[in-house]
Amino acid sequence: MGDIEKAKQTAGVTVRQKRFRLRRVPSVAGPLTLFQSIRPRILQQVVDRTVENFAGVSLDVLLGEALYAERLRLRGMRWNLFTRSRVQRDQKLWKQVQSGLLQPAAEVDRKDLLKTVVDHYAQEVGGFFDPAVYEIATHAVPWGFSWMLNAASVRRFLPWGMTESLQSRIRILGEIQALQKLSERGTILLVPTHQSNLDSLLVGYVIYLMSLPPFAYGAGLNLFSNPVLSFFMSRLGAYTVDRNKQNSIYRQTLKNYSTRILKEGIHSIFFPGGGRSRSGAIESHLKLGLLGTGLEAQIEGMIEGRAKSKVFIVPMVVSYHYVLEAGSLIENYLGEAGKHRFIQGVDESWQLGKVVGFLWKLFAAQSSVTVRVGRALDIFGNFVDEDGRSIGSNGLFIEPDRWLTSLGELRKDSQRDHEYTRELGQRIADRFHKENTVLTSHLVAFSYFELLRARYPDFDLFRFLRLSLAQRTLPWGDFLEAADRDRARLIQLAQKGELHLSEEIESSLDVRVWVRDGIRQLGLYHDAKVIKVSERTIWTEDMNLLYYYRNRLSGYGLSRLVELSGRKNQFGQNDSQGFLA
Amino acid sequence: MTPKDFWHSSNIAVIGGGSWGTVLAHLLSSNCRSVRIWLRDEDQVRQFNSTRIQNRYAPQVQLDQKVVATSSMVSALEGTVNAIFWVLPSSACRLRARELAPLMRGDEIVLHATKGIEGGSLKRISQILVEELPTRRVGVVSGPNLASEIARGEPAATVVASEFAEVCQAGEILLRGPQFLVSTHSDLVGVEWAGTLKNILAIAAGALDGLGLGWNSRAMLITLGLNEMVRFGKAMGADVQTFLGLAGMGDLLATCGGPASRNYRVGFRLAQGEPLQKIVAELGSTAEGVGTAEHVWQFASARGISMPITESVYRLTRLDGSAQDFVKDLIRRW
Repeated sequence: MGDIEKAKQTAGVTVRQKRFRLRRVPSVAGPLTLFQSIRPRILQQVVDRTVENFAGVSLDVLLGEALYAERLRLRGMRWNLFTRSRVQRDQKLWKQVQSGLLQPAAEVDRKDLLKTVVDHYAQEVGGFFDPAVYEIATHAVPWGFSWMLNAASVRRFLPWGMTESLQSRIRILGEIQALQKLSERGTILLVPTHQSNLDSLLVGYVIYLMSLPPFAYGAGLNLFSNPVLSFFMSRLGAYTVDRNKQNSIYRQTLKNYSTRILKEGIHSIFFPGGGRSRSGAIESHLKLGLLGTGLEAQIEGMIEGRAKSKVFIVPMVVSYHYVLEAGSLIENYLGEAGKHRFIQGVDESWQLGKVVGFLWKLFAAQSSVTVRVGRALDIFGNFVDEDGRSIGSNGLFIEPDRWLTSLGELRKDSQRDHEYTRELGQRIADRFHKENTVLTSHLVAFSYFELLRARYPDFDLFRFLRLSLAQRTLPWGDFLEAADRDRARLIQLAQKGELHLSEEIESSLDVRVWVRDGIRQLGLYHDAKVIKVSERTIWTEDMNLLYYYRNRLSGYGLSRLVELSGRKNQFGQNDSQGFLA
Repeated sequence: MTPKDFWHSSNIAVIGGGSWGTVLAHLLSSNCRSVRIWLRDEDQVRQFNSTRIQNRYAPQVQLDQKVVATSSMVSALEGTVNAIFWVLPSSACRLRARELAPLMRGDEIVLHATKGIEGGSLKRISQILVEELPTRRVGVVSGPNLASEIARGEPAATVVASEFAEVCQAGEILLRGPQFLVSTHSDLVGVEWAGTLKNILAIAAGALDGLGLGWNSRAMLITLGLNEMVRFGKAMGADVQTFLGLAGMGDLLATCGGPASRNYRVGFRLAQGEPLQKIVAELGSTAEGVGTAEHVWQFASARGISMPITESVYRLTRLDGSAQDFVKDLIRRW
């Protein structure tokens, strides 16, 4: 215990410093560390619970629907060397279900069949945790990175390059101490924004840097198709979430698994936006299914009288100057919006060369990733203080067990709980916007896009995105003026607590300084330069990418064009025609 | 314990003892264990507790022994109160809610029966209550419910709406009577806005009658007024269907029908040339429509939502023109 305490203290200091020397943060043990010993029992309970959930449902219909959906999924599936065995196992299972359903219920018990399916899913979902691998990963990752860093830095002739580390590239801001304290008073459900596949690794590493015990992950199954990543992730508490499995048996199994481990006090992470944000905007619509498991775990814990039954929701906003997958994400978004010919590019993000290149640039380019830990919420979306007490909007303390009491008794009530979760989702989306740290590159992209957009007010978005090179070139002076104005508006918003500004924006009085920084950092890694400048002019080589980075500031009602047309500055209301105002 | 058993043995607090509050307490008293009704005025409390009659606002209702009046919020909330009925004018809502908040436990259900909004912010009453009270389980009681008729025991129906099914269920069990039907609805936003917006039209209907106009013009007003309500309600996130039900069309017909409605009386007398201050002073209770017209019109005009009737009513209440101009104004805007 003493070591952990000490580690916490040093970490509290380290993360608040802006740059610090290469030093290993000791890893901290937590409930997940012991996961391996209770895993079989937990999975068994998940299976039993899931089967129980479907009591009274016509199992023929249920299994039939799942069979239909799964066969469709498997037919359209592209597999590779590493996913092949999984696909084959799936195929075998569904053949078994099919032949079972063809026989009369008297011969093949439907409940057994359901149990087989649920068991299959539970094994797939359920993660592992290997403390030895965790130890290696937390050692290897920073050393590996810092080796690259040194090589990269030397190239840039940095005299202090030898001692800089990955930690100095990751700025962790916000409510770090509150998170550390709360992690001892209850179960943390960390909900980060999701822009890139790198998020999973980054967030995991940030947790380690903050001296928190390892968290369980809800990670997309696609991340497991890379053997190296798969090896690490599956041994670091990640459990798989396959968004392609759209049947109720799978969803219920997944939910029960998440509820079960939260109830066990295992801190968890999931990305509530579902997938990566394709428009580049901060998520406004959240998936409530898994989010609701926090509430469920807390109620069950309270009814069973467990200590530390509270679940705390901690939003986290990750801000990148550039997103690896930006190009394919925005194409996908525009394609889905319907008016653009949909050309699906290859999702380039996990090609090894790209990842290495990205990391190389991350270090060599004096760039950084900013992570803000948001204020913690309770399962209803109320703020909680460092002691884990819920504070209502009127400033009075709230007793959660009262909110979960219906007809005089502490109990579950699916309709009520769904309503609470819906509200929680809205509040998280709101917090995402407020905890966002605007970087210089975001503001540069926004100012330039809006200035250009104002010149072509009659163009619809898709025509606008196809402007010729001459059309999209603007005078440098006009741009500087617009950027300075936009900065002033952002400062007003920041004072109202609507968002945060990076140090560069906040402190530099000369517009040229932060604009230069923003232009240099913006989408650094892409083949096309997102913004280019000459002596007198500014232009873009890729309108789609510009749009993507500009969208980071949508949802704040900042766009002048949209302000004219009314009440669109509410989160989530601005996307039907506004294309992310 | 079934929900029915639970609510039949529950304790209820009614905050606000105007005519509708008193009638609600009367309806509630046959479905629960005890009702405490909060009145501001101590004299009224004494009188009420000795006679079981709310002399000032609902003299025709003889209340049950179960109903006890008090002028202190603390004693209204004493013991285990399971549900709170909120029947205060919109202007008093936030301040009174702040008084009530520290006295609540958090598992109470709150149903309000105020057909108004907060000026400026344009927040609905349920939004204010959720902000100020330590609960989210809030709902509304609304519909064609002229208190005097229900006090006489005439048949009527009401709507209880909430995003929480248990709130709807509680309202249904607690309010249901031999002559009083309760339907439930999940579109809280729609039901609240319908009840609020119809007050503006009630003023307009009163004004038309005050000018001696007939059924054609009233039918025109009601129909076009409903359109206006729907247009605004949609902009605020309500479900269109809601406006065709009891809380929308139903309430509109009842309130535009005659002098039982306070808002109607305001419109009637405005049309006859009386100044607003005098009417409001003599009314003795709140006419929500006056404030609502102003707030809604300001909000709508800033956002380009067309609200011709609301604008005319707003001008009428501000006496920008005479009552004759009201009709001209109305016709011109249509």
